[in-house]
Amino acid sequence: MHELPVVLDIIRVMDEEAEKNKIKKINKISLVIGELSSIIDESVQMYFEVAAKGHPCEGADLVFEHRPAMLRCQSCGKKFPHTRDFQCPDCGGDSILIKGTGREFYILSFDGQ
Amino acid sequence: MEVIIMKELLEGNEKLAEENRKYFKQRHLLAVNLMGAPGAGKTTLISAIAKELKDIPVGVIEGDISSSIDAENLEKQGLRSSQINTCGECHLDARVIRDGADQIDMHDGIVFIENVGNLICPAEFDLGESVRLLAASVPEGDDKPFKYVPMFSYVDVVALTKCDLKEAVGFDSDNFVKGLRAVSEAPVFEVSLKKNEKAAGIDTLARFLREKYEQM
Repeated sequence: MHELPVVLDIIRVMDEEAEKNKIKKINKISLVIGELSSIIDESVQMYFEVAAKGHPCEGADLVFEHRPAMLRCQSCGKKFPHTRDFQCPDCGGDSILIKGTGREFYILSFDGQ
Repeated sequence: MEVIIMKELLEGNEKLAEENRKYFKQRHLLAVNLMGAPGAGKTTLISAIAKELKDIPVGVIEGDISSSIDAENLEKQGLRSSQINTCGECHLDARVIRDGADQIDMHDGIVFIENVGNLICPAEFDLGESVRLLAASVPEGDDKPFKYVPMFSYVDVVALTKCDLKEAVGFDSDNFVKGLRAVSEAPVFEVSLKKNEKAAGIDTLARFLREKYEQM
């Protein structure tokens, strides 16, 4: 729901990077998005297409890499990606969220010329 | 050419949030970011806590997509308040908090920041608060910690509101706590603030906040 400020931030960072690296045209931007960051790819894409006009990153492909929140089983200790019922796939035990996981939200890289 | 940058997004908000944190600390203000779904009872909770903490000045920065109904009601009770209308935005961010704080211009006390009613987006934006308080109401259902992991894992303390409705809506407290414990160690305070009836549970929540204030 709040993808517009996110998109404006992406464009701002790309403007800075284009200038720093003397790049005129950015073709691809790779984003890493954690499951708990509440960011929807399609919304980012939609805002980006409009907001990037006139910037070096106009028309760039956005590539989304998703990272799951991770859980740890309280019975057997197994670590596994977040499931809706928080049940361990091995022993069926209850699990807890591993703090900090799934909150990633950054630009990994970009490609330009 | 490909350039690896690993650049965090929304970093601008994080920086402003740190500035807000310093501002609140310098003024000896305990900033409480109060979040919750629309209708969870956030404004009622602030009002009841302020009545419990008679000896501590309480201010409110109200965030709403529009209107100033909540701020006006709290002002009638004698609380210092400022209103931020987000004009459709689904959350408050660190930038607007400083304006709200300047308007109430308090030194020493507790400042509640009543976030926009929303169980999703406010969990993404640090405002520079010291305490993150979630108002989760019984009618929303006992499964919410399982479904809204970003929010429930983000908060420091949970007020379970409208507890007088538990039986009426078949609320399973054990399931709620089980879900919460899967994602957070936040303590839960059960409260009931039904109109024209004696408030229940608010004293222990107020005591929790008083301790946080005194520890500052």
